[in-house]
Amino acid sequence: MKFISIALKDLKELIRDKRGLIFILFFPLLLIVVFGFAFGGMGQSNQQYNLAIVNYDEPATLPTSNETINYGNNLTQLLKDVTYQGNSSMHMFNVTIMSESEADILLKNRKIDALLIIPANFSRSVVALIKNTIQTTTNPLSQVNTSTVTSTLIIRGDTGYINFGVSQGILVGLLSEYQDQIITSTQNAVKGTPGASSAQYISYDVQPMAGTKNFTNFDFLAPGIMVFAILMLATTVAANLTREVEQGTLDRLKLSKMTGFDLLFGGMLPWSLIVVAQVLILFIVAVAVGFHWQGGINSIVLAIFAGIIGGIASIALGMIIAAFAQNDRQASNLGILVTVPISFIVGAFFQLPNLQVWGFQFNDFLPWTHTLNALRATLIYGGGWDAISYQLAASALLTVILFIIGLILFSKSRLSVDN
Amino acid sequence: MEMTDYIIETQNITKKFDDFKAVDGLSLQVKKGEVFGFLGPNGAGKTTSIKMMVGLLKPTKGQVRIDGQDMRKLDKGIIGVCPQELVLWDNLTCAESLKLMGDMYQVPKAITQERVEKLLGDLFLTDKADTLVKNLSGGMKRRLNLALGLVHQPEIVVLDEPSEGLDPQSRRVLWEYIRKLRDDEGKTVILTTHLMDEADRLSDRVAIIDHGKLLRLDTPENLKKEIGEGDIIEITLSDSRKIPEVTETLQEIEDVLSVFEEDGKVNLRGLNALSKLPQILENLEKKGINVVDISMRHNTLEDVFIYLTGTRLRE
Ligand SMILES: Nc1ncnc2c1ncn2[C@@H]1O[C@H](COP(=O)(O)OP(=O)(O)O)[C@@H](O)[C@H]1O
Ligand SMILES: [Mg+2]
Repeated sequence: MKFISIALKDLKELIRDKRGLIFILFFPLLLIVVFGFAFGGMGQSNQQYNLAIVNYDEPATLPTSNETINYGNNLTQLLKDVTYQGNSSMHMFNVTIMSESEADILLKNRKIDALLIIPANFSRSVVALIKNTIQTTTNPLSQVNTSTVTSTLIIRGDTGYINFGVSQGILVGLLSEYQDQIITSTQNAVKGTPGASSAQYISYDVQPMAGTKNFTNFDFLAPGIMVFAILMLATTVAANLTREVEQGTLDRLKLSKMTGFDLLFGGMLPWSLIVVAQVLILFIVAVAVGFHWQGGINSIVLAIFAGIIGGIASIALGMIIAAFAQNDRQASNLGILVTVPISFIVGAFFQLPNLQVWGFQFNDFLPWTHTLNALRATLIYGGGWDAISYQLAASALLTVILFIIGLILFSKSRLSVDN
Repeated sequence: MEMTDYIIETQNITKKFDDFKAVDGLSLQVKKGEVFGFLGPNGAGKTTSIKMMVGLLKPTKGQVRIDGQDMRKLDKGIIGVCPQELVLWDNLTCAESLKLMGDMYQVPKAITQERVEKLLGDLFLTDKADTLVKNLSGGMKRRLNLALGLVHQPEIVVLDEPSEGLDPQSRRVLWEYIRKLRDDEGKTVILTTHLMDEADRLSDRVAIIDHGKLLRLDTPENLKKEIGEGDIIEITLSDSRKIPEVTETLQEIEDVLSVFEEDGKVNLRGLNALSKLPQILENLEKKGINVVDISMRHNTLEDVFIYLTGTRLRE
């Protein structure tokens, strides 16, 4: 297998070129640190977000007082009243009640930042929660759950829109707080803890909440910066491949029985290891400089996986660049000339307009668009495997296509008889 | 002679870079098992010619046939090349580099191992087997550069200025090695050089090229014979403006085969020139021309070159 020999050769060369290796591994690190410090403190500008609420909730009866309450309205009121910590006159949300179809249109136009849909069984689920809480508080050994009703609140929005990123972060924090508060106030009511009024299950005083206090612009930008760092790898790969042309060793290989596939696929293997290391470093550093992500370790694992596929796409892009560059320096320049615009096109830095071509978003043909979507879905929105499997498949498929294009172009321009 | 006795044949190959003809209608045949020398000054088109012959460069016109076959159908294992420049992987060791080339030519591992050891031994690199290429001396790099083209035991060995940058001792080792390739292993060797000595001593036949054109192709002996056995007398005048006048005068002398200006000197070739020396000096004295220096030597391949091109080969 000639490609294995090439892979081993490239790996040895990569590892033995210590200075080059350090640069390759630390460059993205630098990028993240810079962006982390630049944007890490931002996003606490106490901006008011436009939130639409669609309330399908049907009231339910409380077991203790036989009172009928619509918890959907209750939650809506809470969201209207929440203010920023330390600035009680500044409401977090400008809440509008509307129909779902209306809201969808406004979402598309970015007239509203997020849509919260309260399902019909919301009150019933809250009541069930209260019942269970009473039961477990009065009789902690009881294993019987009298009733379990789970309702799912939907937070909808444009994941490419930074305001949605921030508002959903706040909402997620508020909702879990809401549930916690129901439990504690029920417990207090049952135990008769002084100071707790028995009729009031929801406390309105807003505490500093994880979602609002910490979610920064950096958190929203981090996936984009990661994709940018991953894209930059194409430049390094191109420069390395071009070096083989420049120092003439490619001519030696050309004279042999080596094929383009051997050279490029073999070359891709050690670079994939670099990608893994780079992506790991990226995440570790991002977290170290204060990146907050949703979904725990699972998200990070999925994100690393997505990053690796994106990195392999960058290797393929590097091959394409190497097919056109005459020397190291040209490869670097051309690499930057290509990767920076691609970063913008995939939306790594700015939100992009919704532009459809043949039913696809105009940048869907680039694998890194899907890498970015997957990173955002999992890191910002805590999406699991289901949420990103389509994106991963799309970016993997596009990566294979890109590799084939790279193989054809490189073989044509570098491995055929010179003119 | 049968077609198959030629292992390489170029048919009127021409290479143009933009409007510049680096190689101009080169037609020649290389015989199986010979050492074939390309002799010409820097920029003559030697490298360009052999690049076309090994299939690295496409001729603008004409074609190359190897073993009677079109280049495109070539079995790549048949040719081994030692490029003019050092073409090495700095961060691999000697042994690793050689094994890589063995793998690339699909030589079985065990055979590669054997070949690598032998090559390292033959080229005095055994104790450098595990040294990174970037830590080798210039001469060692040269030898490795050669070895890399030989791991797969090619039929045809193409060496582009192999002794460039070698000290005289390494050069002698190389020459011995090249002769061994031909005599013991029956290889065909094509080498380019701008060194007369090298072409003269090593080659069975020499192609002299300049400005991309083939000037002569023959054995070194025949080439030397062609311009006459004789000797060469070089005369340096105090006033170089008088050279044309002197050239004209000396031409009249009996048995003088040629007189021309070369590098500010008068170059005279003639049979038994030594006996002509008094007559020559007398002639010049009569004309009142001052001689600064006069030297005499035997006819060499370089003289053939000067005779053909009017200029000396330069380093
Ligand atoms: N790729 C190229 N582009 C333009 N000119 C070239 C190229 N390669 C060689 N030449 C020119 O062709 C001529 C012959 O070069 P070369 O074959 O390398 O000569 P030699 O090997 O005899 O010294 C030189 O004038 C050189 O500058
Ligand atoms: Mg040359």
